[in-house]
Amino acid sequence: MQALLASLLVVVAGGGLLWQATDGGQALTAESARRLAVQRAPQPVSPFALETMSGASAAIPDARGKVALVEFIYTTCPTLCQSAGADMFRLGNRVREAGLADRVTLMSVSFDPEFDTVERMQSYGERHDADGALWTIARPRPDVLPQILSDFGVIAIPDRMGGYTHNVAVHVVTADGRLAAIHDTGDFEGIIAAARKALR
Amino acid sequence: MMDNNSAQRLPGPQAGAVKFTMLLAGVVLLLMMVFGFVMRAAQGDLLDLDPAMFYQLLTAHGAGMVGTAGLTGAAILWYFMGRYVPLARGVFWAFLGLFLLGVVLILGAIFIGGYAGAWTFLFPLPANSGGVWGADAAAAFLLGYVAIGVAFLLLYLEVGRKLIAAYGGIGGALAWPLVMGKGTVEDAPPPAVVAAMATTIFNTIGTVVGAAVLASSLVNLYFPEFKVDALLAKNMIYFFGHVFINASIYMAVIAVYEIIPEYTGTPWKTSRVFAGAWSLVLLFVMAVYPHHLLQDTVMPAWSLAMGQIVSYLSGIPLLAVTAFSLIVYLRKANAMRWDLASALLVLGVAGWSVGSVPAIIDGMISVNKVMHNTQWVPGHFHIYLILGEVAMAFGFMMWLIGKPEHKAIGGFNWAVFSAYVLGGAGFTLMFLISGALSVPRRWAVHAPEWVLQSQIATGFALLVILGAAMFVLRYLLGLKHSAGR
Amino acid sequence: MKRHLRPGLAAIIMFACILGNRTLEADPVLHVLVQLPLLGVCGALLAPRREWCWAQGGFAPLLAALFGIAFWMLPRSIDGAVTFPVMTAAKFLSVPLIGMLLAIGWRQAHALLRGFLKAQTVSMAGFMAFLFTHSPVRLCNNYLIDDQWRLGFGFLFLAIGLAMVWTIPLLFNARPRASPRTRAEPMTHVQSGVPA
Repeated sequence: MQALLASLLVVVAGGGLLWQATDGGQALTAESARRLAVQRAPQPVSPFALETMSGASAAIPDARGKVALVEFIYTTCPTLCQSAGADMFRLGNRVREAGLADRVTLMSVSFDPEFDTVERMQSYGERHDADGALWTIARPRPDVLPQILSDFGVIAIPDRMGGYTHNVAVHVVTADGRLAAIHDTGDFEGIIAAARKALR
Repeated sequence: MMDNNSAQRLPGPQAGAVKFTMLLAGVVLLLMMVFGFVMRAAQGDLLDLDPAMFYQLLTAHGAGMVGTAGLTGAAILWYFMGRYVPLARGVFWAFLGLFLLGVVLILGAIFIGGYAGAWTFLFPLPANSGGVWGADAAAAFLLGYVAIGVAFLLLYLEVGRKLIAAYGGIGGALAWPLVMGKGTVEDAPPPAVVAAMATTIFNTIGTVVGAAVLASSLVNLYFPEFKVDALLAKNMIYFFGHVFINASIYMAVIAVYEIIPEYTGTPWKTSRVFAGAWSLVLLFVMAVYPHHLLQDTVMPAWSLAMGQIVSYLSGIPLLAVTAFSLIVYLRKANAMRWDLASALLVLGVAGWSVGSVPAIIDGMISVNKVMHNTQWVPGHFHIYLILGEVAMAFGFMMWLIGKPEHKAIGGFNWAVFSAYVLGGAGFTLMFLISGALSVPRRWAVHAPEWVLQSQIATGFALLVILGAAMFVLRYLLGLKHSAGR
Repeated sequence: MKRHLRPGLAAIIMFACILGNRTLEADPVLHVLVQLPLLGVCGALLAPRREWCWAQGGFAPLLAALFGIAFWMLPRSIDGAVTFPVMTAAKFLSVPLIGMLLAIGWRQAHALLRGFLKAQTVSMAGFMAFLFTHSPVRLCNNYLIDDQWRLGFGFLFLAIGLAMVWTIPLLFNARPRASPRTRAEPMTHVQSGVPA
């Protein structure tokens, strides 16, 4: 009897633990958990300044009151960032089609700012047809980088081939500095919808 | 060790539980046969059936028949192993409880949730219903399988550990000393034990593989980011499915080994060839499944070649050992008494042997490419089942209620038996003919030129159902009259 | 092993796991298939040899251990243990506890339950292998996709290895413990639930 009660207790407690640990059976990976968390409650990110590929200064959140669509890259990335770069180009077109070009900005932020000089960012931008207006490439100061990565939940690890492996996504940041949504770079519908929501 | 084969008419343990199980199985078999009849009638334009309902019936018929075949096999295994080793009674009740839980989940998934992705739940079909059913229905179906898998696992663990303890390891229970020329026929375990040990091993492995692919499919339903490799999933599913349905026949044949000696009066002994053949069967059953994947051109060539070669070879231990020794054995017997039980059991072995012929033909790669998606394939496995496994199960049921004097078959019983055999033979022959004429399998609606074939098959199906209904009815009446053996 | 050596051995293992944490958690194969099992062994070594009422039949402690293992098999938990210090601490506390519960439960478990758990373990190791070798996405942000594949193959070898370790002894070694029933005698009453 005691054993039966104990077992039932264990099942209830264990089920509760797993339910909690997976956000109600919705997220088994850290990546999906991070996306789910911001979707449920937008999270504030510390403001930071950026130097763009044209040498101008910019900031997140956007000083002009625009919604920022932010991805994290490094310019010598041979794989994921390249396809994500193509996605960003197409996303720019979608933003224009949606008539949001003057209220949204696209930003590819380097997480390797010491290596990614203005020239390297420029060449990356040219390769992907970044116009420098709607979409630009930018780098933060190296000393604030850890705080940024931690705020956004981005993890970049050395890939043993001189580069990095990192989680790739588009982060929607509202004008008042909250991270409101995270989507796959190819999920244009989702990103545009999140941007519209952030503008409201 | 003394003579292992003195199979007197003695109470098996838990005779009541086994009788109850066989009654349930008989009723479900009938119901599933009716589903089959309805599908053939719909294909023959004899009744108007919504195609969506057709695929639900197809799913229920497949899962139900495979499950029930497994259930009857397991009951036979349990009943006769109880003669040799002390089995824990609670395990059979747990088995039956979990099995029925699985049945409820599966039926709910199909007829309430609308799941119609066939009994093989091939990835990614359960998750890609195109809106026909929800993830919950597919999950209930898969969880039903999990419950049934756990049920079988428990049963095999109990039988396996008792056989291992009693006969000196797996090798001892498979009569390996005899195979290697070290033991004597007198010392060898009885045929039923050899068969039970082999089945226990390969179906436990099948269940473990099945559990892994079921878990993957379940995770994929709710977390689409967890993808499953479709080809690997197909391999695992067909390994599991092939092993499971084979195990049902290999368990049911235990009834033949145990019951037929009562009719002939001479014990059925484990010979060296017999024991060796069962060890081969153990390997072949697990190696042969790639013949289900001959149309998957991305499979490695060696695995397909192995599937084809083993398909040829696996007929040999089966035909040479069980069927051939049964014939020799029946001829040696002084006076074989024929009643419904013995006739059905012998029919089972005959049907099983005959069914292997179209299977071997389908196992040829060149034939398979043309015929595998035709009704040739249901033709072959319906022979295995209607005239093989299910006949053995009915034979076991008739024996369970039989009177000690074994009334000779005659008159009405003979008519019922003939109807069943004729119906079964005609029904399966129609499948084979349609298959040879390239009529596709699993189609809800048939082209006008196929309709006549479906109509003829429907008629034969009716005969099978009539025969089976009489068996079940006779069993029910017999249960009432039998003093409880 | 002598009983009084157990706490010392457990302490050594624990110490090694803590000291080597950076190295071990850097590689998912070492992290999941070496460090976590070692921590479990640590707890199992310290498991008290008592039989409690609540643990009768081993169900409650084994279930608790299974839930704990399920938690640590979530890619998210493994990622967390690398990223967040709180989760790292939780790992060092909870995994030895899981090992201890396993040891307590195993001692009192019926042979059937043990067999079931062995089959379940092989099956789930196969499932993890399947997942990690075939997932097209990275499941842990802290590990490379190649590492994920290696972990998958680690689970595959684990499944095969455990299956062999658990079945090969059954092939030959066992000798008949009792004379099997060679003649079918009426067996009217067989007790269930007798631990073997």
